[in-house]
Amino acid sequence: MPEMAGLDEGGPLFAQIAERLAGEIADGGLAEGARVPSTNELAAFYRINPATAAKGIKVLADDGLLEKRRGIGMFVATGARQRLLARRRAEFTERYVEPLLTEATRLGINSDELIALIKDTSSERGGVPV
Amino acid sequence: MTPAISATGLTREYYDQVALDDVNLAIGARTITGLLGRNGAGKTTLLRILAGQEFPSSGSVQVFGSAPAENQDVLRRLVLVREDQAYPDFQGYPNFKVSHALRAASFCYPRWDAGLASSLLGDFGLRAGKAVKSLSRGQRSSLGITIGLAARAEVTLFDEPYAGLDAVARQIFYDRLLAEYADFPRTVLLSTHLIDEAAGLFENVVVIDRGRVVLDTTADGLRGTVTTVSGPVLAVNSFTEGRPVWERRGLGSQASVVMVGQVSGEDRERARSLGLDLTPLSLQQLVVRASAGPAGAGSLTGRTNA
Amino acid sequence: MNTMIKVARYHLVMPGMFLGLPWATLAGVFAANVARGGDHFRGGLAVFFGMFFITGVQRVGGWLPFGLALGATRRSFYAGTALLGVSMSLVSGLVIAGLQAIERATGGWGLSITFFRVPYLLNGPWYATWLTSFVGLSALFVYGMWYGIVNRRWGMLGLLAFIAVQALVALAVAFAYTRSSGGPLLLRPADGHPASLSALELTGVIAALTVVFLVGGQAAIRRVTV
Repeated sequence: MPEMAGLDEGGPLFAQIAERLAGEIADGGLAEGARVPSTNELAAFYRINPATAAKGIKVLADDGLLEKRRGIGMFVATGARQRLLARRRAEFTERYVEPLLTEATRLGINSDELIALIKDTSSERGGVPV
Repeated sequence: MTPAISATGLTREYYDQVALDDVNLAIGARTITGLLGRNGAGKTTLLRILAGQEFPSSGSVQVFGSAPAENQDVLRRLVLVREDQAYPDFQGYPNFKVSHALRAASFCYPRWDAGLASSLLGDFGLRAGKAVKSLSRGQRSSLGITIGLAARAEVTLFDEPYAGLDAVARQIFYDRLLAEYADFPRTVLLSTHLIDEAAGLFENVVVIDRGRVVLDTTADGLRGTVTTVSGPVLAVNSFTEGRPVWERRGLGSQASVVMVGQVSGEDRERARSLGLDLTPLSLQQLVVRASAGPAGAGSLTGRTNA
Repeated sequence: MNTMIKVARYHLVMPGMFLGLPWATLAGVFAANVARGGDHFRGGLAVFFGMFFITGVQRVGGWLPFGLALGATRRSFYAGTALLGVSMSLVSGLVIAGLQAIERATGGWGLSITFFRVPYLLNGPWYATWLTSFVGLSALFVYGMWYGIVNRRWGMLGLLAFIAVQALVALAVAFAYTRSSGGPLLLRPADGHPASLSALELTGVIAALTVVFLVGGQAAIRRVTV
């Protein structure tokens, strides 16, 4: 879809809108207490139906990540960033750490060995210091 | 809540064909719905009946709760922009101008906005003083769109209104439609076969094929439901095992399979690790499938052909 | 009523065409008459009357589709258009009567021209001229509308059938009348002939026909599609 500024046909648009906004909050692009773009602004920017944009916002609002201030608009709730980051960590743990531990156990690698393995691999890659 | 537009058992027959066959619809107020389908599917007939310009053979339609045909109360709150709109521009009246058309429309639509009309003329590069007879196809379409949007009618119907408009002008139309809808919400039914361009506009889509409704759902509800999985044959087979599949294609060691079902985050990871490419079917492709027959539509929604 | 006004306003977005063209044509024919000279009646006024018929046809043929698109109902489009035509006929008839009076007063515009004095039909007092012109123009306009509608609904074949049926009906009426009155139907008052009609009676007949045209047109437009 050429004109939708990065949205794709892979899933519901409202969910993609919600994800993008959540990403902005988690990355700090949308600070706590900052005003979130209005439904119409989002619709115009992404060239989508305002109802779809509204649904995306509603998802975040229902989740407590956004709060409505009557007559002014939607704002990022306090603690939203923390909650999103915590959620990401939880997802990371579930998706990567848990399977890692399961597999390590199967191979007979204990936690200390596992940590040493991670450190060695990390320094070989010159990547994120652990 | 009463739907703004509804049809019950709507049928329209001509001597040699059935244009609409037992159509049942309910379209909510202040939504934008895409009316999709192939040429000759029955979209135009449906829109004309909704606008009171054609009559049903059997069944009924309602706009704002009553039949639109010959109904002044409904018709002044409704506008239909047709691809082939005829204006009084034939032999005897070579000078029926764009401005005349707009003036006539201003009498007939209580919410007509003249300022919007001139702004739209400017957007499309259409001069008010030009004779309608001398307009190109694209300019006629621009005129139709201008009238359709400036009327600010509570029910606004578009029947493939973009004939002769290039991609830039079409985008102007979509943008203005969205802006107008945001400022003055109205019930919009847009018939088009250029689906992907307009896909973002639709909250709902109705697909008509050979006079019957084959799909009636939210646009978001369709997105991502069908995906093309391609890559090495074994990997593709492993990935798609146990999942409903519409089509399989192979060439040597490569395969491409059209798979039904939402693709989760885990699925994506797995596909990546297997070296597979996942491409969701666009709305246009999904509609093409739905128009291909009962099998396609049924798999999409889990319902049998309506 | 409201919608009929809207329809009338729609027709008048180009007032010049609707109101001015017949008069412009009339002026042209009149000028041609003057140029040719002579003092006998040549029926130039018939062109003006003919234009009302053509206008009636065009107002349906050309203006109906966009009218319906703008949300007029067929009923209100018919009524509004007919009303406009009849109003125009009323005013035009008065103008013709006026011009006739001037023609009489000036002895045929100083040139012995008989243009607005039509033997038998428009030769009486101004109010009779007004009435007959009004009825005649209205009849032609509404008749034209009916043709326009028939053409829209049933095309060329329909038109031919329409004309054929009317011809048959006219023949039947003439036949029946001739048989019952024992002589041919005469329009011109032949002295003492019992079967002739006065201009006023003829006006009455045309008025009755106008009602027929109105009913026919209204019925035909009901299911017209554009």
